[in-house]
Amino acid sequence: MSSELERSFVKQLQENQNLIHKICRIYTDGEDAHKDLFQEITIQLWKAFPQFRGDSKFTTWAYRVGLNTAITLYRKKTKSINTIEFDNKLHKIDQDEYNYEEEEHIKLLYQAVQQLNDIEKALVFMYLEDKDYTEIAETLGISEVNARVKMNRIKGKLKTILNP
Amino acid sequence: MEELDLLKKDWQKNENKFPRVSEKEIYAMLHKNSTSVVKWIFLISILEFAFFLGLTLLLNDNTSTSSIEEYFNDYMVTGITVIDYGIMIYFFCLFYINYKKITTTDKVQNLMANILKTRKTVSNYIFVKITFIVILLVAIFILYFNNEPEMINTLQLAEAKGRFFIVCIVYFAAVAVSIAVFAGLLWLFYRLLYGLLLKRLKKNYNELKKIDF
Repeated sequence: MSSELERSFVKQLQENQNLIHKICRIYTDGEDAHKDLFQEITIQLWKAFPQFRGDSKFTTWAYRVGLNTAITLYRKKTKSINTIEFDNKLHKIDQDEYNYEEEEHIKLLYQAVQQLNDIEKALVFMYLEDKDYTEIAETLGISEVNARVKMNRIKGKLKTILNP
Repeated sequence: MEELDLLKKDWQKNENKFPRVSEKEIYAMLHKNSTSVVKWIFLISILEFAFFLGLTLLLNDNTSTSSIEEYFNDYMVTGITVIDYGIMIYFFCLFYINYKKITTTDKVQNLMANILKTRKTVSNYIFVKITFIVILLVAIFILYFNNEPEMINTLQLAEAKGRFFIVCIVYFAAVAVSIAVFAGLLWLFYRLLYGLLLKRLKKNYNELKKIDF
């Protein structure tokens, strides 16, 4: 038996699950770890769901809880080894739009992002999600100016990782 | 094109390439156990309170320690008990209030600060408690030294042999060392326990602090 609340939660989560997958994509480096973090975020979202009043969008609310879980609450287990396999799985691109050189470059970019620390990953994640600096600053609890400065530094850092 | 913008393009293009998790799987997840840091901190903190509560009750009821109480009068025993429980209730309330403030919908930095604060409350409790026990032990050993007939006998014997001073030094050195070892072991245990649990959280918290400097 599941309650009305549970049904409504599962339905919304199912519809918006890409968001959680994307957080897992940034924070984990293998299929097992991805599933593990996905589960933990789901549990945390469910726990916080009674406080979700619907005055903000489900996604906005889920971003917060998801990032908080990834950065603060989640306890990493042993690293899984099937990184490359998983990377390839996530990167299946249709044959006709396949561009080997660009594809390789993107792969390297993802690997560079993996080398950033948890906070930097959060900034990169929100940047990729096209969030503005007001929202980035608000989510992390830092000032907008500092978020901007940090973002520029991260761009520099990525360049150095890619072209040592 | 800038590196990150290239990635952004790819990121948004690949929105829907993740393996879908079904509703059934989500239902199953809701009933799994969380492995979150907060849960562990909460459980361990409750165990700590329980441990010291147990210790207090044990010391109050145990007949073998009644000889200790002989050295204190009733008034003092009541006083010690009241202080002991007072400390515990005060810290437990503080702990509970802090714990309630932890919400995953908070800003990242606030959430981290609240978790660390909750943990700090329990650390302070342990610190106060250990200090309290150490002071009590020192008092007991001094009273034992001055009042216990066996001890007085030994001292008189030693005095007769001209070794009074040595016996005193050995006694207090032994007492000091055992108290230090006891306190040291407890301290080390807590450092290890929470060091492991909070390492990543602290690192991330400091990183955020550094940005906002």
